[in-house]
Amino acid sequence: MTNRFARRRSGALGYLTPLLVVLAVWVYGPLVFTVVLSVLDWDGSGTPTFAGMDNFAELFARPEFPAALLHTVVLVACVLPFATVVPMSLAIMLWKQPGRASSVYRALLFLPVVLAPVATALAWQFVLNPLGGVLDETLGLLGLGPVDWLGDPATALPTIAVITAEKVIGLNVLLYGAALDGIDRQSLAAASLDGATEWQTTRHVVVPQLWPITGLLVGLCVVLAGQWAFTNVAVLTQGAPNGTTDNVYYRLYTYGFTFFDNGLASAAAVVLIVLLGLPLAIRALLRRRAGTVVS
Amino acid sequence: MTSIAKKRTRIRRLSLLAALVAVVTLTAAGCGTSGTDAASSGTITLSFLSYNYGTADLGGQGTQQLIDEFEAANPAIKIEPQGVAVADVLTKLRSSALGGNGFDVAQVGWSKMAVAYQSLPITPVQKIAPAQDWQDTAAGFNQAVLKATQHDGMTVAMPYTMSIPTLFYNANLFRAAGLDPADPPATMDQVRADALAIVQHGAQGVYFDVANASKSDFLTQSLVDSNGGSVVDADGKVTLDQPPAVQALQTMADLTRSAAQPGVKEADALAAFKAGKLGMLVTSTAVLTGLDSAAAGKFPVLATGFPSFGDKAPRPTYSGAGLVVLSKDTAKQQAAWKFIQFLTSAQAFTTITTKIGYLPLRPSVVTDPRYLKTYFDSDKRLLPALHQLDTLTPYTFFSGPKADQAVQALQDQAVAPIALQGADAQQTLHAVAGTIRGLLGQ
Repeated sequence: MTNRFARRRSGALGYLTPLLVVLAVWVYGPLVFTVVLSVLDWDGSGTPTFAGMDNFAELFARPEFPAALLHTVVLVACVLPFATVVPMSLAIMLWKQPGRASSVYRALLFLPVVLAPVATALAWQFVLNPLGGVLDETLGLLGLGPVDWLGDPATALPTIAVITAEKVIGLNVLLYGAALDGIDRQSLAAASLDGATEWQTTRHVVVPQLWPITGLLVGLCVVLAGQWAFTNVAVLTQGAPNGTTDNVYYRLYTYGFTFFDNGLASAAAVVLIVLLGLPLAIRALLRRRAGTVVS
Repeated sequence: MTSIAKKRTRIRRLSLLAALVAVVTLTAAGCGTSGTDAASSGTITLSFLSYNYGTADLGGQGTQQLIDEFEAANPAIKIEPQGVAVADVLTKLRSSALGGNGFDVAQVGWSKMAVAYQSLPITPVQKIAPAQDWQDTAAGFNQAVLKATQHDGMTVAMPYTMSIPTLFYNANLFRAAGLDPADPPATMDQVRADALAIVQHGAQGVYFDVANASKSDFLTQSLVDSNGGSVVDADGKVTLDQPPAVQALQTMADLTRSAAQPGVKEADALAAFKAGKLGMLVTSTAVLTGLDSAAAGKFPVLATGFPSFGDKAPRPTYSGAGLVVLSKDTAKQQAAWKFIQFLTSAQAFTTITTKIGYLPLRPSVVTDPRYLKTYFDSDKRLLPALHQLDTLTPYTFFSGPKADQAVQALQDQAVAPIALQGADAQQTLHAVAGTIRGLLGQ
């Protein structure tokens, strides 16, 4: 019995080995390497020297990194409605009116997701040009503007968020659509028998069943909004004006691949990992405690 | 255990081993180098990184033409070109060098050259070239350019695609504003007055491309130098918060505050000039071919020299790029020298000027009927810039390993807010000079 268990265990380990090797080489290895680099002073060539916590101290002594962290939070807050409320509303509307028109709208909403990010960003550059761009020319006909959407520190970050949201909406409408297809039809029929109006059914029966997917999309938005905005920032503003569109991912890239200040870039990455990992760790801890209390 | 069970176990272990070997082999292959062979059947292949190569505009076509002509004349040398965005040249060069598949020859912008000297395995061009060959090549070159671009007393990067800032203007908008296109502005005060006149007639006035997307400070330096100041002094000390520098950049802020200059990004201003909505554009001569093709049939694009501050002589510095050799292989270095010799020959500068838009660095080609005489006889717009090339002010570098961070801090934190938003030059430059001194350890 023991021999068979040991054999099965070694067999499972054998099957897992390729995946473990890949994970070690491409995920956990770089993670450990990043932590090591964060305490070194190294530009990628020459001999690295031990820097202790200097990189972390420099990171917070320079104004641009804390500012980039703050801008990332603002960006997430701006994108969040477009990752949840807007696609949820659109998906429910399309779900309630099934048919060819619904499929066409769904395809049109998804189209920006498959377009090349750089090409999309360049198209926005022409649209938003304050000297004759389509948007300002149109606003001009209404007697408004012109507004330098990407050049004015007050409007630049919200504009980047809206441009980024264009792709997020299409993808999330699709995900909400999949979740809506899995809704319990009996609960809808029961609500109808109870005399619930369409709005009441949506509000009290449909939406609550979308909370799990909404939670997932909120989590993805918090973790990935900065990365989603990366191409738009790189092509349209490079962090300008006055660093207002700079976010923590673009800053990390700038430190690492523009300045080759690998220690500083790695320190920024470690801070980011900790900031993103902390809420997850707290959540896991709370769930474990809750589980202990219940048992 | 039965013999069938033993056989199954052996087969399973072998399969696992094979899978493991496949993973390790693929991983190792991914980490391996893929550099170009030095020589294959007598042909030397040179990898060449160029930010002009592969672009859809005339610059891309001109670079391809130069490569084709070189390969036709040198069948034993094959060029393997690769394009890159101008802002990413150093990133590409450093990451490929770290990955073990570095380039043999590269076109590096002058604003990035200080960092390139420090961080890339560059062999000075002058050291690679045979002595007599070097003398012959240097003899016909613009001596002011050769001198201005030297590093540690020798030519490390060969001047290749060079330009200086110049003032382009839309002749139709000049006429519409009651200005004479034959009498373009020569001083900053005249630029401002003409710009305001153009603005009064419904167009945008002037745009100094000082806060450009490639984060080069060549126009910043041209302005500051022309007002008698400097960004750094001869000892490498930061001087960008001294009165001449402050006054020069305050001029930019005043233009924006008075609405003579739109406070927009470079790309927006370029698009506006091409659409005939901007009267004057002060930028690199390299954009001329692009402006011409956009303006064809709509309005004449004219050009004049970089404007002066009052009666002080204008002292523009240069932008563009030099060619560096990164290969350590002797045979490749000699092939690279032949390639560089060709790219800086009279024949090549004819293509570079007419197709790519940079200035010819061999003075004789301007008057030689075999090369550019016909071109300059019919189109004199680059002549003022060409004359200013003879009194070129060297481009100055910040020193130290964080020099590129210092340039970016200058451009992003000082020049852009001052020039595009009209921020106070004194206050902004004082703060940013402190940041830069911190970065440079001064």
